[in-house]
Order: sequence, then C-alpha cells, then structure tokens
Amino acid sequence: MRCFVALLSLTLGTAGAQGAEAVYVALPGGELVSALKYEDSGGRLRIAPFALMSLPVTNADFLAFVRRHPQWRRDAVAGVFAESRYLQLWAGPAQLGPKALAQQPVVWVSWFAASAYCQAQGAHLPTWSQWEYAAAADELRTDARSDPAWRERILAWYAQPSTHALAAVGLQPPNVYGVYDLHGLVWEWAEDFSALLVSADNRDQGDPDRLKFCGAGALSINDRDNYAVLMRVAMLSSLEGADATANLGFRCAH
Amino acid sequence: MHRLIALPLILVTAIAALATSAPLPRDSIYQLDASLTDQSGRRLTLASKRGTPQLAVMFYTSCKFICPTIIDTVLDIDRKLTPAERQRLGVLLISLDPLHDDPRTLKAVADKRSLDLTRWTLVQPKSTDVRSIAGLLGVRYRVLADGEFNHTGVLVLLDAEGRIISRSTTTGGSADPQFLDRVRTTLAEPGSK
Amino acid sequence: MRRILILFCAAVAALALGGWNSGDTLVAVNDKPGTLASAASSASGLRKGDFGPPQGPPIRAVLTSPPQVPAALNRSAPAKVIVELEVIEKELPISEGVTYTFWTFGGTVPGSFIRVRQGDTVEFHLKNAPDSKMPHNIDLHGVTGPGGGAASSFTAPGHQSQFSFKALNAGLFVYHCATAPVGMHVANGMYGLILIEPPGGLPKVDKEYYVMQGDFYTVGKYREKGLQAFDMQKAIDEKATYVLFNGSEGALTGDKAIKAKTGDTVRLFVGNGGPNLVSSFHVIGEIFDKVWFEGGTHFQENVQTTLIPAGGAAMMDFQVEVPGSYVLVDHSIFRAFNKGALAILKVEGPENLAIYSGKEVDEVYIGDRALPNVAAVTTAAEAAKAGALTVEEQVKAGQARFAGTCSTCHQANGAGLPGVFPPLARSDWLAANPKAAVDVVLHGLSGPVKVNGQDYNSVMPPMNQLTDDEIANILTYVLSSWGNPGGRVTKAEVTERRKAAAAVAAAH
Repeated sequence: MRCFVALLSLTLGTAGAQGAEAVYVALPGGELVSALKYEDSGGRLRIAPFALMSLPVTNADFLAFVRRHPQWRRDAVAGVFAESRYLQLWAGPAQLGPKALAQQPVVWVSWFAASAYCQAQGAHLPTWSQWEYAAAADELRTDARSDPAWRERILAWYAQPSTHALAAVGLQPPNVYGVYDLHGLVWEWAEDFSALLVSADNRDQGDPDRLKFCGAGALSINDRDNYAVLMRVAMLSSLEGADATANLGFRCAH
Repeated sequence: MHRLIALPLILVTAIAALATSAPLPRDSIYQLDASLTDQSGRRLTLASKRGTPQLAVMFYTSCKFICPTIIDTVLDIDRKLTPAERQRLGVLLISLDPLHDDPRTLKAVADKRSLDLTRWTLVQPKSTDVRSIAGLLGVRYRVLADGEFNHTGVLVLLDAEGRIISRSTTTGGSADPQFLDRVRTTLAEPGSK
Repeated sequence: MRRILILFCAAVAALALGGWNSGDTLVAVNDKPGTLASAASSASGLRKGDFGPPQGPPIRAVLTSPPQVPAALNRSAPAKVIVELEVIEKELPISEGVTYTFWTFGGTVPGSFIRVRQGDTVEFHLKNAPDSKMPHNIDLHGVTGPGGGAASSFTAPGHQSQFSFKALNAGLFVYHCATAPVGMHVANGMYGLILIEPPGGLPKVDKEYYVMQGDFYTVGKYREKGLQAFDMQKAIDEKATYVLFNGSEGALTGDKAIKAKTGDTVRLFVGNGGPNLVSSFHVIGEIFDKVWFEGGTHFQENVQTTLIPAGGAAMMDFQVEVPGSYVLVDHSIFRAFNKGALAILKVEGPENLAIYSGKEVDEVYIGDRALPNVAAVTTAAEAAKAGALTVEEQVKAGQARFAGTCSTCHQANGAGLPGVFPPLARSDWLAANPKAAVDVVLHGLSGPVKVNGQDYNSVMPPMNQLTDDEIANILTYVLSSWGNPGGRVTKAEVTERRKAAAAVAAAH
C-alpha cells in the first residue's frame, strides 16, 4: 500500500502542464561521444541505462517539498546551502504568488536544495554525462548534434532576451526519449557540476598547465560547434553549490 | 552549605550547556550533517570540529601531483606559527576518495609525513557526502575513468564556528603570506581555544 | 647584503611582470621604489612610464557611454582606480524596425569607455545582471596577465567578480568578453575601448569622440523587420549582415551625429570589435592630420584611410576647417552603403571659400574630342554629302583633325622636330610632289628622306585610323598652311590611291 501511495504521490507531485504528466522515462544508455575532450576516456563514454524526469521540477513540485521538509524553506535554510536570493520569486517561504506560477520551472534554487529534493525522492541530480546524453537527442533522433538546424534552434533560445517570463514546463515537443525542455527553457543543475574543470578563460584550449587541476590541464572542447554544450559547461563552471540564478532549475534522475 | 555550592555549579553547567548548544551560525559549513571516519577508525561528525579554527583541505592518498605540495603548504604554515598559535589551530584533511582511503591508508600517510595527530585529523567521508563537502569548501574535482582525480588545490581557513574566513589557491609548497596573516589574525581572536 | 636584496626584488619584479601566478590570488603589485621601475625599463628596454606606487585616495573611474569620452585625466602620478562595469543583456534596435538581443557592457554597444593613466593600479569589478542568461567575463587588451583578465573575471548571472591589474603600457586598447563561444559573445556586441593615457597625457584637442565598428550576423536579411536572431553559420563564414558604427544604423546620424565647429581639432578614438572584419576607416572630406595607428605610441601624418584590425583600435586627430557633413565610413565601400557602416560628423560654422569653394562652374562637357573646331568637321561632312564642299570647309575640318593626330610629331605649327620628324611648314618635299603626301599618310614612310636641306631617317606609321575624307581635309589644311604652296586634296583622290595600293598588294 505504502509503495502504491509513494508511486502515486511521485506522479502527482510532479504533474506537468496540460497533457504532459511528469514521470521518469527510461533511457537505454549506450555510448556517448562527449563534446568535452576527456583525456582519460578519449571522450567516448559508456552511459548505463537510467531514468530521467520527463519535465523540470516545477514551482508546485518544489512547494510540496518545502512543506514536507521545512528546513529548506527560504527563511530556514542555512546560508551555506543557499544564497540570499534563494526562491526569491516566491511571494512567501511557502507560498508561490504571481511571479512564480505553479507550472513554471522552479528557479533561484541552489545545488544543495536541488540535491536535497532529488534525495527526498530516492533519486539524485543527473550527472553531467547523463544530461549530455539525454540532451543530444531531438524529436526524432537520439543524436542530432551534428545537424546545423538543431544548433540554430538552440542558439535562438540564447537570442531571446532573458527579461521575458519563463514558459510553463512541457510546452515544447518532447525529444525521442519522451523528455521535455532539455533545451530552450532553463539551465539545469548536474550532480557533478563541479567536475567541469574548464579554464575560466575558455580560450585556453589545450592549455598544457598540468598542475592546474592536479595532473590535468583544463578540459578542452572536442566539438567546437556544439554551442549547447559549450554554454552549459560555461554556465555550470561559473557557479558554486550555494549559488542560484533566474534561469537555472533542475530535474532528477535515478 | 550544599546549596551555596550547588547554585554556582548549576549556573556554570547551564552556561556551558548554553554555549555548546548555541545554534550554529547559518553560514557555518558544519550545518552539513556529515559523518566521517578518521585515521584511527574513530567516527566523528564535521560539527565535532566546532570550537577550534581549522585549516581544511581536500586530497587523496594516491595523488601524485599537487596533493603532496598541498600538505607541504599546510606544513609551511604550521612552521611559521608560534607554538602557542599552533596549539590553537586544527588541520583537517578530507579525502576525495573514500572508496580507497580508509583509516589504514590515512594513517600510513600521517606516519609517512610525520603529521602531528594531536592537531591533524585525516578523514574518510561517506561517498555520498564528498560532492557536498567539496561544494561547501569550493573544491572542484572530477573522477577519472581509472579512479584517479583531477581537482583544484585549495586551503580553507575556518573559524571556530565553521565559517569560511579565507581561501587560498597558493598550494605550491610555500603559503601565500596574506593567507598566513589571516590565519594568525583568526587564531588571535578570543573564542578560539 | 644589499646586492642580494636588489636581486631578490628584481626576481620578485620579474615574477610579477611575467604574469600572475597560476591564475589564482591576484594582488596589486606593490612596488619598491627604485626596483620595479628600474628592473622593468632596464630588463625590457621597451616599457617607459611612471610605475611608482599608487598615490592618493582611490579614484572611482568615470565611465561614459558612446560616443562620449571621459575628460582627460590631468594627473601627474599613478593612482588606484576602481572600475565598475555591469554586463546587461538587452533587446535594442539594430536598424529601423529591426531589433536584436545584444549582450552589452554597461548597457550600450560598444560598452562604456574606460580612461586610466599608465602606471595606475586598476581594481576591476565586473558585474553580471541577475536576469542575464549567460555567464560573462572580460579580456582587456591593456592588461598584462592571463587572458587579459578573462581567467579571473568569469562571472555567473547575478554575481560579480573582481581582479586588479597594473596598466603597464600606454595606448588605446579593445576589451571584450571571452566566454565560449567567444565569437558569439563578441558578435552580440560585447566590446569596448580602454584608453591608457601616457604619463604626460595626450595633446589637447577641442572634441573627443568614441566610435567603434562591429560586424553583425542575423538569420534574416539586411533590414528584415522584427527581432532577429544571431546566425552562427554566417559568422563562421564571415558573411556579415550589418557592419555598423556603435551598434546600430543611425547610431551616429541625423540628430545623433557627432558635432564640431569649424576650426575645432577633433580626436576620434576608433575601435573595431569585429568579430571578423578589418576596417578601412575613412572620413569623407577630411584628412587625418595624425593617426596613432593601431592605438600605439607613434603616429603617421596626413592619412586618408587607416586600417583598423578586428580587435584593434586607432586614434586620429584632425582639424575641421569647412562646415558640412563628413561621413565616417568603412571604405570597403559596400559595407558603408549596403550594410550600414556610416556615421556623420556635423561641422557648423562660417564658410571658408579659400579652402573649399563648393561648386563654381557647371558647363556642358563634350567628351574626348572636345576641341574648339570640331564643329568644322561636321560642317564639312554635311557639305561633302551635299556635294558642295569648299576648300575653306576642308581646311577648317582638316585643322580640327590635324590637332592631336599629326601635331603630336609634326607640332601644331608644322615645325616638326629637327633631326627626328620632318617639318611640314614651307616643306620643299611637299612643294615638289603634293599628292605624294597621300601615300605617306596612307602607308607611312620609312627610310632616308631630305626635307628643307636636312636628312631624316625615321619611321612614320600608317595612319590607319583616318578615313579618306579626313585625310583629304588634313592634307588640304597642310598644303594651305605655314607657307606651303596651297592646293587641294579630294576624298576621291585618296580613295583612288588606297585602291591602287590594295591592287598592288594583291598582285604580289
């Protein structure tokens, strides 16, 4: 009975926009040629099969979480886990309000808060490689990254001024796995965001300073044309665990 | 007669109790409930370090590149402090690699480098806590395919309450003089035992 | 002991000059008087300047929006200068009815102008507005250190970072964002200029303006209306949609034109953010009296058009003498007229006709046969057609054709060139056999010939371009001029001689 209730609350708790119910979708895994040049694996990675939330976590989802775990309310959380602007769009510590609609992805969340949410579900944030693997797909193909039209679509999102209000989750067509909004809505946290050891000056490609990261230079980019990845890497590598921004949300994996 | 003794005793214990149960500041890294195992197999929490300023560093024992020099840098700071100052500072070496760095391996490093274990503690965290601890200290690391690590080298100065006072990325063996000054200033403050 | 101390200081100086250590703790370099400066100038021999420690209280730098420039500093010692610059991503017009999401330093394209003095210690604060989508950083070309500051200024949205540098070199330098993909950040307008004044400052001028060229790449065509997105493929192919001064068409035209008065000395600080194209910078109607090419220390004088590389700058001084609108262009001229690379400098004041008069004459211009008596040729032609050609008409027509054809060698007065070209004036050769001249004009003449007692041995080429009536008119004119016996050559005679020659040639 408990199992059923848990499953039900899992599905209900992560309900998305009209027609798009957030569930965990199964991804088959396989080999991924990363856009990052990993010296240790030559950039080819084995991704084990895993499940990923089909939608980013919404304001409604996160509200339910802080009600159950009040130590994550913005008036209770320790400053080391979330900066002062944590959940600043919400009208109150446990109240959404007009600037944080229920079906918009939750933003102004720190990595610690996002991790806690996923752990409360018995899940975790997706690793960077899991994210990269899932995000390589478009509506029809598992790997659309070499298609210039796909890249232009992603770039077009960056051209949108960031002053527009965020759309609700699930409004874009899902990719071939059934996952929505990996592009075009918000940046997303990764479990190992702090593993993206890139030089703060992104032009240092092939920088031979092997002492910089203890035995390795900064990660280089394998595929210069893959702006989707480049920008995500740049974004995540600029953040610390307690940081939050207006365009950064998350989803869970297990 | 008993009451005369009892009252001050009660007061003292009450004050002591208050002191230790005073809430942790919200910007203290000890807010993280992390259970650690030290080089002698003893279980402790991160928060058990409260009360003494700490120099915290993340490393792993099979590291060949900068970890040895990170330890050198901390030893350099140790050397440049007066004996009185040294007594007031704790050093916390936290492993990035709890899968391999168990108490035995940690103890071996401590012996090899002749570390003063009355003040230096080497710990093995839970593997699910490593990323969080690194996040709190601002250390970035990547696990490689062969189990090695690429990571940033950082010395973090914590006050007695676990708040980050200063961080230094000068880990070449010789401490950054400005960081050393911060260490001295922190140790001179009242409240650091 | 003292020697060791000096050596040690020099070593520290060398380390400090060689760049910040491993991109981590950046500190302002604290100089020991007599060491860093002397170590610097003696070691490199190139870097001259005032590198003493910062004097006086820290100064908050005044930054300006283009096209304005902060006032000259008038400082005599290096100082600590605090620069605060904010990155703002915003939608702005790029052309009439066309908008674009620019990423800006200080809310403008180009970004705010920064003015410091050589030797200053600059404490640079880079802020990234909370509603930015992207992290950003800054690379200032005037910074000596990793990435020009980019390594130490990588800033997430809603954060700010700080680093310090010492301005070691004087000059006019570009700054730009260097976050990946760099080309896109630059193409979206993330560039500006920082002027590091030499210790004595720059020569005084009446007006200073800030202009920066950039190329822009949009998915839509030039002037296609609406919000346009950035087109990465066009940027890679270097096929610019717009090439603009100060980020939009019309940024510096109409009432936004930059202004000066006649007699003013004007200084332009001109940068080129790129990302791709080099500028051939020219001001129509003006000559640059001095160009500090590439924004460096030396100047060239009297320059019409100067090359400004992508990621480079130049400074130019010139005096405006005459009122009018002077158009600033990239002289790769299709960029000016088809992609928007033009700006206006409007100069007002009294006219100066001695320097420039404006239009003085407007007359009919006939073309390459514009000689006074061409009318004569027409008259003769018409008369010939009517069968009523007179000798006078032939002479006049011949005179018109003689000029420029025969006069080149035989001179307008028929005098020829002694020893080279025989004279036609009072020519005994012509008097002996007037009609022989027809063959000379038709077929040329080479070999020895004696005219008026002088020997000539040149080559006259056949006048194949002349028609029969032209030859007839020219020879009639020659025979009637300069003391020649007179006579007439008719078109029929020339035609007949031409036919005879052709028959002879055919017979061989």
